Amino acid sequence: MDRITNHPVLDQPEGRKLVNFSFNGKVLDGYEGEAVSSALISNGVKEFAIHKVNDNPQGIYCANGQCSHCTLIIDGFPLKSCITPLEEGMKIKTLVHIPELPMDETPMGKTGIKNMKCDVLVAGGGPSGLTAAIELAKLDFKVILVDDKNELGGKLLLQTHKFFGSIADCYAGTRGIDIGHKLEDDVRSFENITVLTNASIVGVYKDQKAGIFIDNKNYILVEFDGIVVSSGAREKSLVFPGNNLPGVYGAGAFQTLVNRDLVRSSERIFIVGSGNVGLIGAYHGLQAGIQAVGICDILDKVGGYKVHSDKIKRMGVPIYLRHTVLCAEGDGKVERVTIAEVDENWHPLLETAKTFEVDTLLIAVGLSPVDEFYEMAKSFGFKVVNAGDAKEIAEASSAMFGGRIAGMEMAQLLGKDVEIDPSFLEKAEVLKSHPGKIIEREAPVLNESFQPVIHCDQEIPCNPCTSVCPKGGIELRGEHNNIMDIPYFTDDCSGCALCMGICPGLAITMARKVDGQFAEVVLPHEFIPNFEIGDKIRLTDKDGEVLEEAEVVKMRFNKKFKTHLITAKTTLENAAKIAGIRVQDEAIVAPLENADFNYFPEEALVCKCEHVTVKEVIDYIKEYEVRDVNQLKNIRVGMGSCGGKNCSTMVPRIFGMAGVDYKDVTPGTKRPLSVEVPMFALINEEK
Amino acid sequence: MKNYDVFIIGAGSVGLPLSYYLAKKGKKVGVVDSMPSHGRGQNKAAIGGIRATHSDPAKISICQRSIDIISKMEEEHGLDVDWIQGGYMFPVYDEAKEASLKGLLVKQKEFGLIIDWVSPEKIQELAPGISPDGLRGGTFSPNDGSACPMKLADAFYILAKRAGVDFIFNEEVTEMKYEGTSITEVITSKSSYTADLFVNAAGGNAREVSALVGLDVPVIPDSHEAGVTEPVKRFFEPMIVDMRANENSANYYFYQNKEDQIVFCITPEPKYYGKDMDNTSVFLPQVVERMVSLYPRLRNIRIRRTWRGLYPMTPDGFPIVNFPENFSNLLLAVGMCGQGLMLGPGLGQILAEVIVDKSDKHEQIFDQLSLYREFSGNEILK
Repeated sequence: MDRITNHPVLDQPEGRKLVNFSFNGKVLDGYEGEAVSSALISNGVKEFAIHKVNDNPQGIYCANGQCSHCTLIIDGFPLKSCITPLEEGMKIKTLVHIPELPMDETPMGKTGIKNMKCDVLVAGGGPSGLTAAIELAKLDFKVILVDDKNELGGKLLLQTHKFFGSIADCYAGTRGIDIGHKLEDDVRSFENITVLTNASIVGVYKDQKAGIFIDNKNYILVEFDGIVVSSGAREKSLVFPGNNLPGVYGAGAFQTLVNRDLVRSSERIFIVGSGNVGLIGAYHGLQAGIQAVGICDILDKVGGYKVHSDKIKRMGVPIYLRHTVLCAEGDGKVERVTIAEVDENWHPLLETAKTFEVDTLLIAVGLSPVDEFYEMAKSFGFKVVNAGDAKEIAEASSAMFGGRIAGMEMAQLLGKDVEIDPSFLEKAEVLKSHPGKIIEREAPVLNESFQPVIHCDQEIPCNPCTSVCPKGGIELRGEHNNIMDIPYFTDDCSGCALCMGICPGLAITMARKVDGQFAEVVLPHEFIPNFEIGDKIRLTDKDGEVLEEAEVVKMRFNKKFKTHLITAKTTLENAAKIAGIRVQDEAIVAPLENADFNYFPEEALVCKCEHVTVKEVIDYIKEYEVRDVNQLKNIRVGMGSCGGKNCSTMVPRIFGMAGVDYKDVTPGTKRPLSVEVPMFALINEEK
Repeated sequence: MKNYDVFIIGAGSVGLPLSYYLAKKGKKVGVVDSMPSHGRGQNKAAIGGIRATHSDPAKISICQRSIDIISKMEEEHGLDVDWIQGGYMFPVYDEAKEASLKGLLVKQKEFGLIIDWVSPEKIQELAPGISPDGLRGGTFSPNDGSACPMKLADAFYILAKRAGVDFIFNEEVTEMKYEGTSITEVITSKSSYTADLFVNAAGGNAREVSALVGLDVPVIPDSHEAGVTEPVKRFFEPMIVDMRANENSANYYFYQNKEDQIVFCITPEPKYYGKDMDNTSVFLPQVVERMVSLYPRLRNIRIRRTWRGLYPMTPDGFPIVNFPENFSNLLLAVGMCGQGLMLGPGLGQILAEVIVDKSDKHEQIFDQLSLYREFSGNEILK
């Protein structure tokens, strides 16, 4: 089985039981209780279903229970494998076209409606929902917190990296996964918070109730006075030929497989999108022993934090700006990905195409808020507040802080006399700031004792290095007078290296002059070292340019930060410029020479549930003079299991391609259910 | 100001086919709708059943025409509307209902409907796995079927466009000017239109539109709820109608469409009057309990989406198709009582014959569906 057994940050789960199951008659094994999809992927299975249109193979896409591309026949029933826990002896089969509904003549058993009541329903137990629930619980409200996973924490649990922001407001410098566990513990300590996990909200109804599908078998109607919508975001899709091949999936799905389930889902990945999600995806891949062959972005600058992209470049992952993905190709699965430069109109220049041999293509082209429950609640006139990504896409650090404010706002709506400190609102704004200016900084002059060398040169909302220094030796300077300013060393250092350990961007090294020719540089390293003391390693500057090969003279492991601290003997000339260790060599990331590719952009799928192509949509828009997204339902766009969650972000572009200004188009209507629910669950039938 | 031979208010189940048949006969037709595209009122909310199985001669004959038109849509025009001739089946579990349906059967046959009483075994053959507990048999009308409402709307829209009909969307009719018995002009939120004949085919808004000329048309919408499941391999053909009333609903019905999804709808009791189409929490558990009890096999199917739609109801459950006495150039084609989809094509064709060819073959329909009738009857198969 292809499992991640050695991870620099994540511990191996304890006490898991290995069980046998069958897939198309073949006996495989996996861990009891893990997602069936993860068990299959760890056994090398990529094809989950064969779509009724053209017998197209279909693999996992969201790993999040939202789409249904991972549906399999499990013990006779069609089930989404990413949310079905593995059991001993399961008989699993590929879903071919559409499933058969098994004959079942057992008369209906006892049924009933389950009701619950609360003051506030919090929809989503990620960073913002957790903090909102805590805030409301402190104010004595009876809260029901609902989350569709079996553990609280949301996407925090997939984040092995340390967080940006400030320590006081959002646990900066702590890894996401640890923050998630901490917040879950806090939430569970309140008696007035009822936590429902494995519970999806499937609809918010006009009679001020929410329908909740729980444990894959029951349905609860929750009556509430107010609702906080903290349901996060979903990943945007992208239209390109091959976008439905098994092996193309969202960066979030990759994080789920690799970081939550410790499945080595891939050998080699390519990533579309250079926002923080894409950059981190590459990093997580490398940490899991997966080669990250490159990142492309159609824009001419990196979308995410520069400290992230600098870090990725130092590791040896090229970032191709002004490049788009042309196609993913392969025999029933991704084998090759071709990218090309774009011109000023964002049209690809085919002569610049580069083809890479990869087995996975991650789509990280942005997030869109899961806001349908908010919109619905608002249209019904309910007391509703949104928070986190469901309100505005930003970092989880901002979501945690925003959740607290949302909790207070809800308390106000419910008539509680609560004052929201204006400085809170200011901080919330700062935390969700986009990266600002890049400030060039000079390399410091080194002396005999260690001092921090700070390679952080872009304004981002982050300051744990300043808080952690026992000497107060790092201060922010700049025009913002808040945590957007840039940190500078002020000459007072005890050499404790806490600043280096806590920096989420791995943008601080420690360095000292040894003599007129040599120096020592200590570098933070979040990988399991593949070298020993005495070995030579390649060291790079901030931007990933290799400066020299240097000898490792000391290796330590900081348990608190789960970070290796590697000391290398370098030239004095380079010491203050050295910022990282190259972990991936050039041959790994090189494109194929003389590769062929086929490019038929109109064959790309807009709707991946029903397999509707770009050409079909454009032709229909033109023939029927479509000015209403709802009309596209006639050609099945939005009629599939995902309910338009995936295609809705692509539709505006397709209208553009058909020569229609999207401003003239009426948007589509969203209706419950947000997730498919079996009939027996809706009536809580006892079998 | 634009001038037409016929100006239709409502690009829905009735207005679309009517516009096509009029244009085909050479009329210059304009159709206005307040929605951004065709079929966006109640047409899209229909579940797709097309039956001639009614209790009266007018609807039976209109719908027999509709079935003829819809079943030939692909052959004649190359337009696939997902027509399936799966029949309509009314399974019966109590003595009283058996007597009532068997009585009706005689009349239905007289009106030319192909329908028969079938045995419990036949019912189970048509719907394998349906509950046999107390099943007495039922009626089956094999010529009925189903079509995709949106595709049907699309088909008539494109046929109408090709025949030269003008469609005007996103315009609400705000005023209708009239002098004496003649309507002179329709004014919308953006423009105004004149015509020789104006047609009110405004579905759920029929009453408000009629009120613009001071005419009270007794069309009051009530709301029904519908849903659709994931697709599963086809396992039954007919539309199944369970007519048993219980404490919270009158009847419900479901079928498997050409996409292999099961589409279902329930008639709440008491009724939800008005135009509110927002979902409530009541519907799903209610309809699902009835469906699983009738057809236990359904317990494992997953429901994908739900919605509400309006039945523009008249007091007796029959449509109003009428040239009102106090106007010389107004036609009402309203109050379809949730059956606009199945009545629309046949009605459109008939009305075009009346308007253009001055056909007098349809007097019976106009008599039965007159605005000036007593409204004292009761459609058994609403």
